[in-house]
Amino acid sequence: METNDEKDIEGTLRAYGERVRLQQKLTAIHSKLDMDAVREEVGLYQAEAQQSGQIRSLWRTYRTTLAVAASVAVITTFGSIFLYRSYQQGHRQQEQQYSLLSKEIQAVKSSQRKLLSDLNGRGRALSVNPAQVSGSGFMLTADGYMVTNNHIIRDADSVYVQSPTGEVYKARVVHADQTYDLAFLQLCDDSAFRALTPVPYSFDAHQSDLGERVYTLGYPREEIVYGEGYLSSGTGYRGDSTAYQVAIGVNPGNSGGPLLDEKGNVIGIISGKQTTSEGVSFAVKTNYLLKALNNIPVDSLKGLPLRLNRKNTLARLPRKLQIKRMQAYVYQVKVFKHKD
Amino acid sequence: MKESRRPVLTDDELLAGLATGSDDVLNQLYRRYFPMVLHFVTSNSGSEDDAKDIYQETIVVLYEKAQSGTLELHCQLKTYLYSVGRRLWLKQLTQRNRFMVRDIETPAADDFAGQQIDADLTEHEERDRQFDLMADSLDRLGEPCRTLLEDFYIRHLSMQAITDKFGYTNPDNAKTQKYKCLMRLKRLFFSEYKQS
Repeated sequence: METNDEKDIEGTLRAYGERVRLQQKLTAIHSKLDMDAVREEVGLYQAEAQQSGQIRSLWRTYRTTLAVAASVAVITTFGSIFLYRSYQQGHRQQEQQYSLLSKEIQAVKSSQRKLLSDLNGRGRALSVNPAQVSGSGFMLTADGYMVTNNHIIRDADSVYVQSPTGEVYKARVVHADQTYDLAFLQLCDDSAFRALTPVPYSFDAHQSDLGERVYTLGYPREEIVYGEGYLSSGTGYRGDSTAYQVAIGVNPGNSGGPLLDEKGNVIGIISGKQTTSEGVSFAVKTNYLLKALNNIPVDSLKGLPLRLNRKNTLARLPRKLQIKRMQAYVYQVKVFKHKD
Repeated sequence: MKESRRPVLTDDELLAGLATGSDDVLNQLYRRYFPMVLHFVTSNSGSEDDAKDIYQETIVVLYEKAQSGTLELHCQLKTYLYSVGRRLWLKQLTQRNRFMVRDIETPAADDFAGQQIDADLTEHEERDRQFDLMADSLDRLGEPCRTLLEDFYIRHLSMQAITDKFGYTNPDNAKTQKYKCLMRLKRLFFSEYKQS
C-alpha cells in the first residue's frame, strides 16, 4: 500500500505537471493568436451559418408543431375522402350496382319496326313519339291481364304494350306493388284487343332449386330475345328473400319478362341485375307475384276476376316449341312520361 | 492565413501529432477550431474569455485522451471538439441558470459517439478533481518543498540543476530531500483525496 501510494502520488504529480505545462502552452498559443483575424473568421462563419442556421433553428423549434399539423392535415384529408367515398358508395350500391332493367328508349334508334305496315295507324303514333321507357311484360290471363315491373311504369303518363307481331294496345295500370316491384296491367280496356287462347304456362309458387335450368323472353331490343341460364341463388340482391339470383344474360328492356323453368312454369319475373358482376341477375319469385295479386283491391279489377292459369301445356314440349308457343304472350311495355 | 501555407493536416495526422506531443500540431489544431467554439460560446451568451477557457479545457480533454492512447473517435474530430466544448459550456450555463442553446453546428448525434463523449468527460472531471486537489496540496506544502517538486515534476529540471538551485551538497542529498517532500505531499493529498 505504501509503495503503491508512493507511485500513485508520483504519477499524479507527473500528470499534474503535464497538465500545467499544457495549459501554459495553450495560453501561449492563445496569446499569439491574432484575435482580429479570428473574429473576422467568426464573422464569416456567422454569415454563412446565419441563413441555414436560422432556418434550422426555426425547424428545430417548430418541428413538433409542424409534425402535428401535418398529421392532422393528412388524417383530415384522407378521413374526409374516405367518408365521402363510403357515403357515395352507400348510395351508388343501390343506385348503380342494382340496375333496373327498364330501357331508356330515347337513346335507341328508331327501329325497323317503323317499316312494318300498320293499317290502323296505331304504330305510327309510337314511331312519331317514341316511348321514354320500355320493358317487357307477359300475360297472366288470356283476357288481357299482364304483369310487369313497377319500376317500368312508375310515374307513367300512359302505358302501351306491343305484341310480338307489332300490334300496339293501350294498357291500364290495375295495381302497382312497390314492395315487390310488380305492376299489373289490363289490356281489355282497349277495344282492339281480342282475347287470346289460354296461356300455355302455369305459375309455380314453390321455391325452385339451385341449378334449375331457366330461360326468359324479353325485349332488350325491339325484337323479342331469348336468354337462358340457371338459378344460382335462392335469394336476390343483398339477401333479398323475395327474389332469386339467376345466372342469365339480361339487358335493359328485359325487366318484367317471365322466368320459366324447363317445364314451362313461370317461377319469377326478371327485375334487375348487379352491375358490378357479370351474369348476376335477379327475378322476383312467383310466390310474391301471387301475394301481390291478392293485394289488388277488388274495385281495381272492375268486376273482371283475375284467375291464373293452372294448366301447363308446355311441359312436354321441347324448348324450341315452348318458346314458339310462349312468345305470343310476352309483350313489350312502352311507357310515356311527361318531361320535367 | 498562415494555415494555408502549411500543409493542412487530416484528423488522423492531428491525433498522431498530439499523441507524440508535437507543439506544432497542437498549435495548428488550436488555431483551426478556435473560431468555431468562440462563435458557439459568444452566440450563447458567453464572452470571448469564456470561449477561451472552454476551448482550452476542450483541447485538454482531447490532448490527454490522445496522449494516454485511449481516444476513440466515433465522429469527425471537429464534431468531437464541438460536442465536448458544447457540453462544457452547457454545464457552465446550467450553473448560471440558463438553458436555451442555439447550435451553430450539429453535435455528435448518434448514441454511441454521445456516450463516448460522456465517458470522456466523466473521466476528465475526475482528473480535474485530482488536479485541483494536487494544486491545493502543493499550496499547503510550503516552501521549499513546493518549488522543489514543481521544478522536478512540472518544469522537468534535472536533479543537478535542482542541487545547484537549492544549494544542496550533492544530487543524492537533493533526491532524499525530494523524497521527503513527496512523502509529505502524499500525506496531504491522500488525507483529502480519500475522504472525498
